Parts: sequence; C-alpha cells; structure tokens
Amino acid sequence: MMNPPHGIDPFNDPVDRLLAEIAFSIQLPPSLHQKAVDRYEAVRNHLESTSSVFKDQIEHFYPQGSMSIDATISTKGTDDEYDLDIVAQLGGRFRFMSPLQILIELEKALNGYRGLKVVRQTRCVTLYYQDGMHLDISPSIREIGTCERQSHICHAKGPVASMDDHMVPMNAYGFANHYRDCTPIEKRVMDSFAKRWEVLNKGNYRADADVDEVPEPTEFVVKNTATLALQLHKRFRNIQFADYEGRVVPSILLSYYAAAAARPNTSLTDMVIRQASFMIVEIENASLYGQLINVNNPCHELDVFTDRWPENVSQQDDYAKKLKELVDGLEQLKRGQMSPPHMMEWMRNQFGGQVVTRAADAIANEIGYSIESSSQQYTRTGKLIIPAVATSATVVRSSKAIASGRNHTFFGKKI
Amino acid sequence: MEPRPILIKDQIASMKATWPALKPRQRCFESVRWVGQLRPQFQRYKVRIDYRLFDVPNVRVLAPELIRLPNNIEGQLPHVYPPANDPTLCLYDPKNDEWDGSMLLSQTIVLWTLDWLSCYELWLMTGRWTGGGRHPTPPSEGTDLEEAQ
Repeated sequence: MMNPPHGIDPFNDPVDRLLAEIAFSIQLPPSLHQKAVDRYEAVRNHLESTSSVFKDQIEHFYPQGSMSIDATISTKGTDDEYDLDIVAQLGGRFRFMSPLQILIELEKALNGYRGLKVVRQTRCVTLYYQDGMHLDISPSIREIGTCERQSHICHAKGPVASMDDHMVPMNAYGFANHYRDCTPIEKRVMDSFAKRWEVLNKGNYRADADVDEVPEPTEFVVKNTATLALQLHKRFRNIQFADYEGRVVPSILLSYYAAAAARPNTSLTDMVIRQASFMIVEIENASLYGQLINVNNPCHELDVFTDRWPENVSQQDDYAKKLKELVDGLEQLKRGQMSPPHMMEWMRNQFGGQVVTRAADAIANEIGYSIESSSQQYTRTGKLIIPAVATSATVVRSSKAIASGRNHTFFGKKI
Repeated sequence: MEPRPILIKDQIASMKATWPALKPRQRCFESVRWVGQLRPQFQRYKVRIDYRLFDVPNVRVLAPELIRLPNNIEGQLPHVYPPANDPTLCLYDPKNDEWDGSMLLSQTIVLWTLDWLSCYELWLMTGRWTGGGRHPTPPSEGTDLEEAQ
C-alpha cells in the first residue's frame, strides 16, 4: 500500500509563501466554515419545523461547490463576504412541481427567516446574513435509480413561468467525492495551515503565550496544495474580471481542472502553473478548431460544467491569454527575475492590491521577528527558512540548515 | 585583553565549507575578498566581502544595484555606511561588541548579510524595516557613526 503524500509546506519557499499568504487571507476561516455549517443546519430545521410544505420533505441538505471541497474564498470584489452553496434534495411532493413553483415555495418558506433578506435567483434562493455571508440554497429532485444524490436542479428566471424554465441534471455530491479522491490530504500542507490559523488567533507573532486561545477547528483548513492553487485561481479570475459584466469562468470548471491537474508533492507555485497550463492547453486545442471547450461532470455526463461559459471562442481565448500572463510571471518569479517592487506591482495586478499588501505585511512581520530573535535559518545556498511557528519556544532546527546563533543589531546610516 | 583573531586561512576554510557559493578571489596572508551569489528570498544578489585581519569586514552588494525608496521613514536606503554611491552594509552595532576578529565570518557576517538582504526585500515590498536595528544620531548631533567606521 502506498504511503499518503506529505506534500510540500508552502511556507518554506519565498514565492510559495507569498502565494500561501494570499490564499490564507482570502479563504473562509475555519470558524466561519463551522458557522456556515451551523447556519445551514438551522435553515433545514426551520424549513422542516415551520413549513407544512417542507415538513418531512427534505431528503438531504448538504454543501456543494467550494464549501464541499473546502475551497471557499471571499466573494468577487470584496474581502470579507462569502457565498456558500447548499443543495436541498426534496421529496416526492415537489416531484410534480415546475422549476419556478419549487423555487417560489422555497422562497416563501424562507421569507421572514430571522429577519434576513431573501432573494429568489434563477437556480437557488439566497439568504443574506448581516455579517456578509450568503447562503445559496438550490432545491433539487433526486433522479431515482441512479447513483447516489444524482439529481436535477431548477432553472427558472421568473417571476412568471416561461418556456425556458427547465430542470438541470447535476451530481454535485459525486463531483465533490471525485475531487477529494483526486486531491488526497497532504499532511504538511494541512498542518501548516492549521498552525497558521493558530498563530493568527494569538493576535500576532509577538503574542503573549498566556493569552487564552480559541483554536480554529482544523477539520476545515485547506488540506492540500491543489486546493490552495484552486483558491488562487478563483481569486485571479475574480480580479481579472472584476469590471467585466458578462459571465466568467465558473468555479466548478476551475475545480474540475484542479482535480485533473492534481499531483501530490508539488510546490504551490508549480501547482498554480500546472492548473493554468491544463486549462490553456484545452482552450487552445478547442479554439484551434473554432470550438468551445466542453467539460462534463466526471460522475454524471449530463451535468455540463461549461453550459453557461464560455459563450464564444474569444471569451475562452481571452481567459487563456490571462492565464499565460500568470504563468509567465510566476516563472519569472521562480527564476528570481523580478525586483521586489516589480513583483509587488505584478502580484497586485493578478490577485488584488489589498490581499497582496496584507500578505507581504504578514511575511515582513514574521521574518522580521525571526531575524530579531535569531530563530531563522538559511540553506547553504542562502535560502531563508523560517520556523513553522514563530511563537513557539521549541523551534525545530534542520540539520541541513545553517542557523544564525548570534543576535546582531542592524546599524549604520539612512542614505 | 584583545581576543585572538582567527587566521585568514581558517576563515577561508570555514567559508568554503559553509558557503560554497562564496569564492575567495584575492587573498594574502592578511586579507581576503570573497565574491559570490546569494538568494535568500526573491532575487539573487552578487555580494562582495572584503576582510583584513585586525579590521572590520566590509560587505557590498555588487548586483543588482540596490533600490532606493525616496521619502521612506527609514531613509532612501537604511542600515548602510556611506558613500551613497558605494554603500557597505551595516550588519551589527560596533558599540555592542557584536563582532570581533575571533569570530568566523561564515557564522556571523554571511548570515547577517542574508538577514540584511531579507529585510531589504521586505522593506521594498512593504516600506517597513521589520528586522530591528538602530540608526545612530547624525554627525551634527554628536555621532557614534563616525567612530564605528
């Protein structure tokens, strides 16, 4: 039996570290993940206990999309709002309703729930929480006799029934399992992020060790490099198309390529490049013949991930062009060919100003603290290694690294 | 009593064993110059270390040219010795006896150079020098900088 992959700690390489800090600052904190779970369970209870229509009619109520694979990041254009997707698999009473009727019933049942804003969308009903969390609840009808939770979801713009209304085949549950199979846990990555959340909980790198801590639930941290890279690709898409009015590449498609490109024990920078390269090749091959890329759910052929994007060849070509620029920039960074100011400008253009500034500040604080406390190390080629937990008194030193045992004080002039 | 200095040949041997990328270029009984490339984080730097027995080591970044940040609170380029067109890195406080000739450069000056380069890059990225240190009072206010050089 093969040993599970350990993965590569993304905080051990400078470029990886910067990308990891960006991912860290955009991802859903584990505590909010737990809050989301509590919230959707409360919504289910509300539906079952207060609505006669939904009583005994919810077969399953489960996360789909990013939340089901721990890849949630902040919403497009914001840094502290999160969209979370839930599937409500409904029972026999709903089997004979139209898509619009089902959506309206769900909207009616949720109206007034805890005073929250409730909006019926084309495929789901959204609950807007005051702290910026949005819960998208997609009602689904099980396709009997097929594999587990294979279903149809509703598509109806409303407000009145239309010939365009239809049911859409899907198997989000199957895809989440497929994604998890392709991206096994990498313990070093998972531990590293769990520690990172723990350090953040302490307030900062110089926090008093006696301060009471509420540990983040580690079951919700990112568990492998592929998912970190996926989060960065989602952020990259959000920033690149922030001012774009039309449809953008859907998250489910990015997740598909993240699973397809997954390779254990790959560095974060290489994984971002690898996922981009997979997409570039597919788009270029399709565009060569004037075709659109066509991707189906590996667990359900009729669940088409490209049903709404790309709308035309130039749209997919535009995305491939941006991905190539991303790859070129990351390759330059790996080769050490960008000055730090140029790197910051480039990174801000790729991932957004605020998160890149925040990531650089966090790294500067951490490394500055390591240097001041002489807990840093260097490899024989001069590469900086910082201890995994800067606040820990028991710093594990690598035998291959050269440690700076003596304190020193930078001196000299400002010129 | 002054600590006994480590001989140049022993400094060279230790440097070779610890930092193979730094090559001794000019050497004699009393002095040595190392040149080589180091990459602590994002960029690769060509550095030169000049050392003469009974003197202090001088460290320069030969390439790429050090970037200045005008109007930065730390100055355009912090923690260096002038002249501005050929700065040497100021890696330790001479008043605190942090370095003397009885210490191996491979275990002190090179590591502190890497620290300086790491802080310099982060300073360029954030505008903040987070590795600590102090800037002495300017000459007009009765400096200890001139004594240090």
